[in-house]
Amino acid sequence: MKAPFSPYLNGIVPWVHQLVDLLGKTYDYVSVLSTDSVGFTIQMSQRSKSVTNSNMTTERGNVVRVAKNGLYSEYAFNEIDQEDPEAAVRKIRDELDRQIKVLEKTKTPVYETGLLSDEPLELFVEKETEQLPETEDPEKLVSFLQSLSDRGMEIIPGARDCNVRGMSTHISKMFISKNRFLRQSYVYAEGSIASFAPNEEGEMKMAYKGVSGLGGPEILFRLKETLEEFPKLMQDLLSSEKIVPGEYEIITDPGITGLIAHEAFGHGVEMDMFVKERALGAKYIGQRVGSDKVTMHEGALCADSVTAYAFDDEGIIAGDVIEIDHGILKTGICDALAALRLGGQPTGNGKRQNFAHKAYTRMTNTIFDSGTDSVDDMIASVKHGYLLSGTESGMEDPKHWGIQCIVSRGYEIKDGKLTGKVVSPVIMTGYVPDLLGNICMASTDRRVDGNGGCGKGYKEWVKVADGGPYLKTKARLG
Amino acid sequence: MFKAVKEKLQAIGCDMYELTEQTVKAWEFYFIRHKLDQNRASSVKTLKVKVYRPLEDGKMLGSASGDINPTASDEELDQALKNLYYQASLVKNPAYTLTDVPIPVLEQKPVDHAAIAESFMNAMQAVHETETERINSYEIFVREIHKRFENSNGVTYEVTYPESMIEVVVNASRGDHEIELYRNFESGVCNGEKLTRDVEDALRFGKDRLIAEPTPKLQKSDVVFSTADAVELYSYFAYRMNAALLFRKLSDWSKGEAVAEYTTGDRISILAKASLDNSSKSYPVDEEGALIRERYIIRDGVAEESWGNRQMSEYLGDKNSSDVNNFVVSGGTADESVLHAGDYLELVEFSDFQVDEVGGDVLGEIRLGYWHHDGKVDVITGGSVSGTMQDAIPSMRCSKETEQYNNMVIPKETRLYNLTITGIR
Repeated sequence: MKAPFSPYLNGIVPWVHQLVDLLGKTYDYVSVLSTDSVGFTIQMSQRSKSVTNSNMTTERGNVVRVAKNGLYSEYAFNEIDQEDPEAAVRKIRDELDRQIKVLEKTKTPVYETGLLSDEPLELFVEKETEQLPETEDPEKLVSFLQSLSDRGMEIIPGARDCNVRGMSTHISKMFISKNRFLRQSYVYAEGSIASFAPNEEGEMKMAYKGVSGLGGPEILFRLKETLEEFPKLMQDLLSSEKIVPGEYEIITDPGITGLIAHEAFGHGVEMDMFVKERALGAKYIGQRVGSDKVTMHEGALCADSVTAYAFDDEGIIAGDVIEIDHGILKTGICDALAALRLGGQPTGNGKRQNFAHKAYTRMTNTIFDSGTDSVDDMIASVKHGYLLSGTESGMEDPKHWGIQCIVSRGYEIKDGKLTGKVVSPVIMTGYVPDLLGNICMASTDRRVDGNGGCGKGYKEWVKVADGGPYLKTKARLG
Repeated sequence: MFKAVKEKLQAIGCDMYELTEQTVKAWEFYFIRHKLDQNRASSVKTLKVKVYRPLEDGKMLGSASGDINPTASDEELDQALKNLYYQASLVKNPAYTLTDVPIPVLEQKPVDHAAIAESFMNAMQAVHETETERINSYEIFVREIHKRFENSNGVTYEVTYPESMIEVVVNASRGDHEIELYRNFESGVCNGEKLTRDVEDALRFGKDRLIAEPTPKLQKSDVVFSTADAVELYSYFAYRMNAALLFRKLSDWSKGEAVAEYTTGDRISILAKASLDNSSKSYPVDEEGALIRERYIIRDGVAEESWGNRQMSEYLGDKNSSDVNNFVVSGGTADESVLHAGDYLELVEFSDFQVDEVGGDVLGEIRLGYWHHDGKVDVITGGSVSGTMQDAIPSMRCSKETEQYNNMVIPKETRLYNLTITGIR
């Protein structure tokens, strides 16, 4: 079925058009992004259960972007009176004028920017889904997720609890400017299982896995298969040791490959960072940053994931950008204002946490291309190293191309064979060009994950997805 | 909208609920160097409704929550509340109660967005910059939070308070080599003098990072934490006493028992407080309408009281608990002769320093540190530090002097012994 576009948003179309026309009398550029996204979060464990109709992407509201004399300003709000668009116009003008007075008082200069393009465009997209979060029977989902938690307690060794979580959002967004009228509707879902058990020393270990994708609550039912991996997963963690720090040959599973894609070059080529001269990548366009085995794509069109939208939060059509082509850095990704300032084209990567937040250049799907090697051959080629699996967190350093990845488990490989020894947790650090330059093998398969969120610095959380094949390289582990 | 929601809840038979209306009025300013990149304002109102449903003769309690948008039609509101009431029947937890203790009239602190924003801008313009150490960019956020709460036991409150944040990126350069450092300062309103001082400190760290050598392969070293990253260490203590972690047996700390088998370590105390000067979380009441009671959660190294939401607290047998937003750590006894004795690493910048509150793992990539050894100080960068809090607490030493980082007051310096260092030379 098609995910139907929000009737509420269709209902306010005339009001938004009026708003754009009225503000156009004062400002050089006007656009409005309106959102109406509904969803749920269900969490079941042995010791607490909850259900809510909100999650990180549910929202309903509007953000107006205006420009005057080279300054871009925004006003976000969620109370409207359709009978009186003039009232909204007065409120927006008054509030922004009050801010201008503070800027005048502090003698703050403006970073002047040209006018955004407003080429005529009309788009209406309703993506396919099997189910909708707002109409799926909650009893069925609650019962299913609880049954997984119960089963987890039976099969996971030493489990203190088994927390199973499912969420789904039906997103509707509408972008209107003088010449553009874009509407889209799509559904995504993600679910996870987190189980906790103490090891012999009493240290609590957490086993975690998730599922996600473009589609409705039907995706959550994949968690049943995922759960069956947990007994071994937990056993691995409970028997794990601390790693001896050093540089090792590593094989990254698709989850860790995705983490590297995201942290290493994802953030590093967000081109709003180029405008601020905060990214080393700006100086390396056209230069080698990885081995021949490294080709990396970025864009909402790259995969049917949690962030597979048709247009971004600035009204730019979604794209598929080849950032790195056989080791050569080709380009970055760009929001509309950064593109204007850099003299380039936006790539459909202007994203907001929600309507009330600023749009920044943000990742969508960041994915390494597959290679030609088998995972068995990759393991067989390792003298002493680790197969890394299980993403915990990562942090970028675009100015220096440093990378920090915290990985749940490392499976020791000696003389081409997995020894059965597991280390946990593992902090992987390194210099990005070294890490990518040492990639010498890539598997034929690939996977894209989209659980959790990505921040810009320590805020502005948005949905992203990343992945790729198994990769072989070298890194420092501690 | 409260009235309409209450009438509709009554009509569907729901007589146990919590309603929280929150309005956030925000001003934001984004700068590249000292030029304004963009200004933003917002006014966003949300009504959070949580409905409860006694089940199985009152032994169990169902609940479901949701956000109601102010533009919801009467029909949408009706359907949303019916859905919540139905969903509450599916989610069965052991019974607990809603607070019934009246809240006195609270002080309202309306926010002067213009004055606070001006103060932030002036403080940033006052930062002493040079050709080689300068501000790259910053983002200013000034918010007025207004909350109105009512539950079905007749407990009501209304509170207004400020919440501010500034994100600052600074650069330091030498020739072609340029580095950046990132800061994120949260507070109630702007403390201009402190902000200017803190940003200038960051510029000084940036200058040092330019001359830093790769971290040596020390394998093991004592580490002194003297910056905001140390908050992570003390958050670990606080979260181990959170009711949810205790009830779910993810923390094995017990009231009345020492939190570690202490050897030479300082037995710290943590005081939970409703308000803290200029904290962005300084309000005396929690999300469920309970007054935040000042109490020790850890005293002299012994677990004393839990904190957290009402459900988990009641399961632990504590009906008098509340959530907590501010913590004050005390009990450090170490002076310089202890904190700076022998060889040690002072780590002041990380990519992302983390302490896992469940597992106790301590992890971080080193961006800047000072290796004090053999009477010398080397500036170092790269590699990582790791260890566990379980191993560290028995011997952890803390200074008596304290420093406030938004909602936490912690010892100015903390020394952990024998952490693992992954060096790169």
